Parts: sequence; structure tokens; C-alpha cells
Amino acid sequence: MKMKKIVAAALAAAMALSLAACGGGQKPAQSTPAASTPASSTPAASTPAPAGATEITAWIYPVGGWSNEADVKPLIDQFTADTGIKVNLEWLAYADGDDKVNTAITAKKAPDLIMEGPERLVANWGAKGYMVDLSDMIDATDKSEINAAALAACTSADGKVYQYPMFITAHCMGINLDAFKAAGADQYLNLDNHTWTTEGFIKAVEALYAKKGDTVAAIYCKGQGGDQGTRALINNMYGGTFTNAEHTAYTWDDPNNIKALEQLKNMKGIAFDASLEGGDELKLMYQEILDMAFCWNIAQQLDPASAHGDPGKTMNGQEIVCMNFPSPDGTPVLQGGIWGLGIFNNGDDAKIEAAKQFVKYFCDSEHAADAAKISNFFSARSAAEGTDLSNIFADNAIMTDYNKVILPNLGDYYQITKGWAGARTEWWNMLQKVGKGEDIAASVAEHVANANAAAAG
Amino acid sequence: MKIQSGRSRAYRIVSLIILIILAFLFTFPLYWIITGAFKSSAVNNSPQPTWWPTEWVTDNFKALFKQRTAPLWEIFMPFGSFTNPEKNRVVLFAGPDAPAAFRWLINAVFMAVAAMVITCVTAAMAGYALAKKRFNGRALLFSLIVCAMALPKQVILIPLLKEMSGLRLYGSLWAVIFPTVGWPFGVFLMKQFSEGIPGEILEAARIDGSSEWNTFTTVVMPMIKPGIGALAIFTFINCWNDYFMQLVMLDANNVYTISMGIATLQAETSTDIGLLMAGAAMASVPIITIFLIFQKYFTQGIAMGAVKG
Amino acid sequence: MAKQSKQPMSRALQRRENIAGYLFMLPCLIFFIGFVVIPMIICILTSLTDTNMHDPGLIGGSFIGLDNFVRLWGDKDFLAALKNTFVIVIVSVPTVCAFSLWVSSAIYKMKGPVLSAFRCIFYLPVVTGSVAVTVVWAWMYNNYYGIFNYVLKGLGLIEGRINWLGDERFALGCIILILFTTSVGQPIVLYVSALGNVDTTLIEAAQVDGATEMQVFWKVKWAQMMPTTLYILVITTINSFQCFALIQLLTKGGAGTDTVMYRIYWTAFKLTEQAGHFGYANAMGVVLAIFIGLLSAVQFKLAKEK
Repeated sequence: MKMKKIVAAALAAAMALSLAACGGGQKPAQSTPAASTPASSTPAASTPAPAGATEITAWIYPVGGWSNEADVKPLIDQFTADTGIKVNLEWLAYADGDDKVNTAITAKKAPDLIMEGPERLVANWGAKGYMVDLSDMIDATDKSEINAAALAACTSADGKVYQYPMFITAHCMGINLDAFKAAGADQYLNLDNHTWTTEGFIKAVEALYAKKGDTVAAIYCKGQGGDQGTRALINNMYGGTFTNAEHTAYTWDDPNNIKALEQLKNMKGIAFDASLEGGDELKLMYQEILDMAFCWNIAQQLDPASAHGDPGKTMNGQEIVCMNFPSPDGTPVLQGGIWGLGIFNNGDDAKIEAAKQFVKYFCDSEHAADAAKISNFFSARSAAEGTDLSNIFADNAIMTDYNKVILPNLGDYYQITKGWAGARTEWWNMLQKVGKGEDIAASVAEHVANANAAAAG
Repeated sequence: MKIQSGRSRAYRIVSLIILIILAFLFTFPLYWIITGAFKSSAVNNSPQPTWWPTEWVTDNFKALFKQRTAPLWEIFMPFGSFTNPEKNRVVLFAGPDAPAAFRWLINAVFMAVAAMVITCVTAAMAGYALAKKRFNGRALLFSLIVCAMALPKQVILIPLLKEMSGLRLYGSLWAVIFPTVGWPFGVFLMKQFSEGIPGEILEAARIDGSSEWNTFTTVVMPMIKPGIGALAIFTFINCWNDYFMQLVMLDANNVYTISMGIATLQAETSTDIGLLMAGAAMASVPIITIFLIFQKYFTQGIAMGAVKG
Repeated sequence: MAKQSKQPMSRALQRRENIAGYLFMLPCLIFFIGFVVIPMIICILTSLTDTNMHDPGLIGGSFIGLDNFVRLWGDKDFLAALKNTFVIVIVSVPTVCAFSLWVSSAIYKMKGPVLSAFRCIFYLPVVTGSVAVTVVWAWMYNNYYGIFNYVLKGLGLIEGRINWLGDERFALGCIILILFTTSVGQPIVLYVSALGNVDTTLIEAAQVDGATEMQVFWKVKWAQMMPTTLYILVITTINSFQCFALIQLLTKGGAGTDTVMYRIYWTAFKLTEQAGHFGYANAMGVVLAIFIGLLSAVQFKLAKEK
């Protein structure tokens, strides 16, 4: 009966473990990644923390370099040292971050702070009343310093600011220049201002496909991740629009978009791929499997596929170039990215106060420069409390170049249209259907109608 | 007869070949995890697979351990969240900071072992009662249990989440452990097992003046021990693999289990396969080692569970 | 025990049995009622309301009768998910049973170490852990650098790449395959021991009577293994409903792999305009629970007949 001994031993071990770790799995109250500086880093006596809230939780979507714990931690540790407020940091992933926040809201354990863009903070959680209005933190000086379009995007229809803008960028696409040169497709690129025409794009894809006989670029549609890229490509090709100018209705059933979809569907080098999201596509470009990525931006250019390789280079050192999306006459309209901090209202004023201190510290003080620098995006404001933020990347050639050729093409920030989250879901579902070979016009019409129904309701 | 045996030998050889191929296919994913964990990122990223790493590197593990940090363990005050004004748990002792992956492993083991122990105890008692005690409402309870057995947890997802929030258990491993214990498969299994206990023995114990509890611990328990072994294995593996409950109930790095940890890594850095494989290796190698060491008892336990099932 | 149950018990004895029975049941009932029955009741009640995320309390929202169910009936996505759920169960349960029966009958007479080696190998995917397994399969299935496409192309079996997880024709099959590899371990162990326990005198008797090997197998062994088979049916069915991790980590319900289990989660917590419709999500849960209840009833009816 060795079995007996084993069971007894297992039980004993289990008991011992459960005693030793009694509640070992319970909710962490104190220690977090960020708090690894000894808790004894005593609150500086000079800046007394508001009574009650000495600890807040911040959830961060992987926004550019803010996904990198090693870069973020020193800033947070400094904040804790300066203010005495301990910050429990958690990183969310785009793949399941939304579900986690919604789960936490349902369980009444939403984080105090969250870092993301207006399409979530303003159009969704803000509109549903879970967020704190930050307009009292933005005075006339701030208004003059913050990029007006960014602030407008962070403001709800009834004038409440649910997100304090921190960083902005324009999403573009990336191409593997060495592959283009090898296929003789670089003749279609205007490398002075990084633009190309739709006709040039089509010819370039043909040339690349002729050279390698395999997929050149993918219209990824597994989920919503990185969908700004597919939207921008399809809208720009023949000048279609995604929403109307007033942001009240979705207009992607525009014949120009249908024409673009039909064109893409018929191109041999382009695959509609329901097994990829934006992040996967970036990786394939980094691995030199795809020659173009539609989910590109400056943070990617500085650190391709977040692989910590060389800036602007693929895995084996081929050159990646940022390009505007192709348009009929080389005048693209790019999608903006705006990120910032929002505060969840958990009914605890002390925590809200502490969270506001955090926002003030990283958005509107001399520390805003560091916060923007590690993000690899541009600061959303020109100056903060006397610190100039417009030139923080002056020594970085890639950033300077980007500033000159990509950023000026920034278009309307339509991601705050009502029913946005639903529209995104409709978009990638539609792409999956188009990829399967269903009738394009009919699929587009069906999904736009769904999106508009959600927007109206 | 001769033709028969000739045919059956051919059949045997063919089936052996098929079995060997299948064995290869079944071990391949594990092989791929372990070798992938030790391949350099250039090798892992290449579209041409490398069947056997030419050079074994530990970069992936270094990267994994650099990812996040967490205290190696934390001991909390029981019910601390009800006394704390901020409704958080109260940490009594925290271990030294370590790579979060180790904490995830400790959490996962704690979770699965706790679920296993509590389930075995409660299910053994309940199974015995259902099989041997003629109490009123027994048939109803048993049919309820049978009906609930195959119920996926997604069905009760939302009420369960709200309940856990009300009990201030959301975000703790107990929120995963308790529903696992509540899952009635164990009771069903133990009932089937306890049916085999001869009534005369129980009767004899009663006549000897043994109390109900004593009868259970000294007479019943030894007889259903193989069944408890089977249930323990089943519950441990089931809880370990219950990614869904972990996904919904656990909200922070410090409470993640290793499965959650890898899934989070996949969501965050699907770009780094080596890192993922290192995480997967960390998650699987410990249990596989335990499994291989106790393989005999494992299979015995499972098999015994079924003889009665 | 049969004797006991047939005799009417005295009231005192019945009381004693009641007390003892419920005391033994108590620890289990706390968990079972607390974390299964009560949530299930709340689920049913909520499914009759239009509750969403904003509503506080356990139920909240206002009563709308069977509206959610009527809506479900016309919800194409839900019906597709329901269909997929059934495909998974109907395909995986019989194949797992048949496959493990075949493997077991092929290995159970082998020598000790060989037998345990095979048993271990088939059990490996179970102990590897579902998330670890899923992560490596995701890599193997990858359209661009996965090993399947590489090998099949190398062997000349396929011409272009196959987008395993992105193509409706393959994606569900791919998920069932993973589910299959993680499901057969336990049935094989069970069948091997059941085959080993078959009463040899019966087999010999049958052989003396001139039964062929096939006849011996089906008439004697199979009949004796019926309880094992039923147990395997039950655990495999339970297992098939646990495919959430695969779907969440591989396809997110796209490419025709949505299941009701995933859809409930999606409806409840994904950030879509439909998200947070707890009443609707719970209605899906109720429908699923009804189907599963029917399935269990059928299985136990079979068990009783046996």
C-alpha cells in the first residue's frame, strides 16, 4: 500500500503549504512590481500625501515604450519618493485588456488610473459614467499648451474631459526598403516626402509578388488589434471616409472604400488573413516574411516589433522605411493616436485625489518630458509648467524626420464617434467576410448598417 | 487458425507502427516547447524550423525573469479586506522580490493543491453520505449533482463574479479555488466509490459503538482511498488547467498563476516565441516531472477511479 | 444496503440518518450551493431581465420576460456558436472514445515498461497544461512560419500555405485536434486497466465455443467495459466544454470557431457596444445549460439501461 503513503504525504504537504502560504494567493495589498523599492522609501516629509490614500492602482495598456517595465519603473519610483503615494502597476494587453477592465468594473475593483486612448476612456468608459471629469485640472495655460485636436478628442460631447492627453502620433505604414529595391519596386516610392500613389502601390505589390511568389502584405482581421492600419489603407486608396465629419454616423460604405476592397481582394500579393492581428503583422515584417506593415508608427520605427533590435531595421538588418498610406494623388490622411491618463471613479475621494496627483505629475510638470520620452511618441503639449516639450526628440534623426514627413498628414480623430467599439467589431468581421470571398458590397452594407444602428442607439 | 494468426501478426505490426507515429506526434509539442525555450531568437524567428538546436542558449529564460517582478510569496491576514478601510487585503509577511514567473508557479501550485485537498475532503464525506445514508431528499440532491456536473463555468460567469466581488474574494486565488470545490463531479465519483462499501461492515462498526465520524475516518476512508487518489489527480489537473476562471477572477501580476502568466505574455509579446516557450516550459516541466516520478500511482489512481465508475 | 432501504425505517432512525447525512453533506453543500446552485438561480433570473453592467446588485435591470430568448433565436452569431459547440462535442466525444479504445487494445498486452511508456506519452498533453499546449500549437499552426505548413509543403502534400487558424474550413478542426490530444490521455489509462481486468475465464469459454477474436472483443470484453465507457463518455463530454482557453488564445472566436462558452464571455465583457448585456449573456448560459442537462440525461439513461 505505497499508495497510502503517497496520499498521506501529498495531504501533509498540501496542508503545510496551505498553512505556509495561508492566503498566499490573496489579493496583494502592498507589493507590486513598482513597489520593489523597499516600502521604507519613506514618503518625503516635505510633500505630505493627502490623508487616506497612500496607494493607488494604475493599469497601463502597452502604449509605445510605456510597455517596458524597465523604463517605466524608475519614473514611478521617483513619483513614489516625491509624493509618498505608492503605485500598484499592472500592464494590460490589447488582446484581453478591455475584458479585464470590464470584469474589474463589474467586480467593483476598477483600477484608479488607466492609460489608453479616447476611444476607450472617453467614448466608452467615460460615456458610461465610470470615469472622473478632469476638466478642473486644465486651466487656460494648459489649454494653450495642449494640442487642440488632442484635447478635443479627449473631451466628451457634454464638455467633460475624461482623459488627460499625454502623447500623440500619426499611424503610418512601414515597408522593407531592401525588399522593394530587390524587386525594383522602389521606383514607386517618393522617398523625399515618404508618399506614394495608389497606382504605385498596386504596381509595387505586383512587382514584389512577381519576385517572391508569396504574400507581400496582409489585411489582418483576427480581431480589432491594430485596425487603424487597415482602415487607413482602405480609406486612403481611393479617398473614402470612415465616418462623417460630424462624427455621428459611419460612412465606410462609401463606393471608394468598396472599390478599394475590391482592388485589394483581387491583388495577388495581398492576403486577407483572419489569423493575424496588428501585432502579428508587425512581427512578420520584422521577420522579413511580409514586405509591408499597415500597423506601423514611430514607436515601431524606433523599436521594430518591440523586439529591442536596431531602430528601423528588420531581424537581419534590412532597412525599414516609414511611408504614408498610398492615395490617388499622394495626399494621404493619416489616423491619429492619442494616449493619456484617465481616472476611474471608485467612490473614494482620497484615491481620486491621489490619482489626480499622479496625472498632474506625469502630464503637467517637468516630469512630462521623461514620460513622453520613454513613450517614443510626441508629447501632446508644447510645454508644461515652464518645461519645453516640443523639442524633446531634437537629437533623434528618426523622430525629426517623422515630424517632418508623416505628422503633418494627421487627419481627423474620428475614433470618438458614438458606437465606436461596436463599429470596430463590425469592421474586422466584415474584413473576414470579404476575405472568405463573400459579396463585398453586400458585406459592407450589412456591417455599416449594424455599426450605424449601434451609433444611433 | 494459421491464416488468422498471420493476419493478426500483420495487424499487430501495422498497429505498432501507427502507435509509434502517434507517440511521436503526441510528444512533439512538448519537445517543441523545451527546445524552443533554449533556441536563440534568430533561430526561433526563422521560417525554416530548426529541428534540434545547434546551440543551446538561456537568453529566453533571462528575458522571462526580467519581464516582471513580484514578491516570492505573501501571507495575508484572513478577512483583512473587511477591516481595511481601503478594502484591500492586509499583507502580514511578504517574501523577497523575485521574477514574477516563480511567483506564478507558487500561486498555481497553491491554488491547485488547495482545491484538491478541500475537494477530496468534502467530496469524500458527501459521496459517502449519498451512497450510504438514507436521508430525505437524497435522490433530489443526487440528480441535482448529476445535472450540474457537465455545466461549464461560463454559464454562471456573471453571477459568480458578482458574488466573489461581494465576498471580497475577486482578485484572489480563493475565487478560483471555491468554484472548483463546488463543482460536483467529485461527489459523483466518490458516491460511485462508496457504493462498494459493504453495508455489513458499517453495521458492525455501529454495533461496536463507533460514532458516525469515527466510522467514516477509520472504516470508510481506507476503503475509498483509491477513489480519493483518482479524484485528487483529476481535481489538481482540472484546476491547474482552468484558464477561464483564472482569467476572470485574477486581476494582478501578484496573483496570476503560471497559465495566466503565459497567456499574458502571449497577449503582450506574441512577437517573442522563445520567451513564450520558456514560460510554457516553466509551466509544464514541473508537473511533468512529478507525473513521471509518480507515474505508476497516477495511472493506478485514475484506473481505480474507473473500475467503480 | 438493499435490505435497509426496503424496510421502512423507524422515525427515530430516519431522523438519525437525516442528521448524519446532512452533516456529512454540509461542507460540500456549502460550496456546491454557494458557488454553483445560487449563481445558477441568479443566472436564470437575470436572463429574464435587461440587466447590464451599470446595474448594481446581483440581478438589477427590469423584467422583460422571455425577450432575451426570442432575440437569441434570431441571433445568427449565437446560432452559429451553438452549432459549433455541438460540432465540437459530437465530433470529439466519439472519436476520443474510439481512438482510446483502439490504442488501449493495441497496447494493453505489451510488456510493462513499453506499456507505461505509451501510457505516459498519451498522457503527456494532459499534464503539460492547456495554456502551454495552446501556445505551442499556435506556433505550429502559424500560417507563415508554422511547422505544419513547412512539413506539408516539404512533403509536397500542399501547394500553397494553409491558413490553419484563419480559414473557416480548417480552424474548427484544428481546435478539435488540440482538444483531442489533451483528452485521450485519461481514457487510454482507463481502458488499459479495464481490459486488463476482463474476466479471462469468460474469454476462454468464448474461445472454446469457437468465437473469433472480433466476437470475443465485442461480446465479452466490450460488454464488461461498459461502466468504464460510460465514465469516459462523461469525462470527455465535460472536457469538450472546457475548450474556452483554446478559443480565447487561438482565434478569439473568429474563422467560424465561436462557441457558446466563448460568446457568453464576449457578450459580457468584451468592449463592444453589445458588451455588458448581462441579461442577454445569461440567457445564452441558460440555453447552454438546458442542452447540457439534456445531454447528461441521455447519458445517464444509457447508464441505467446498462
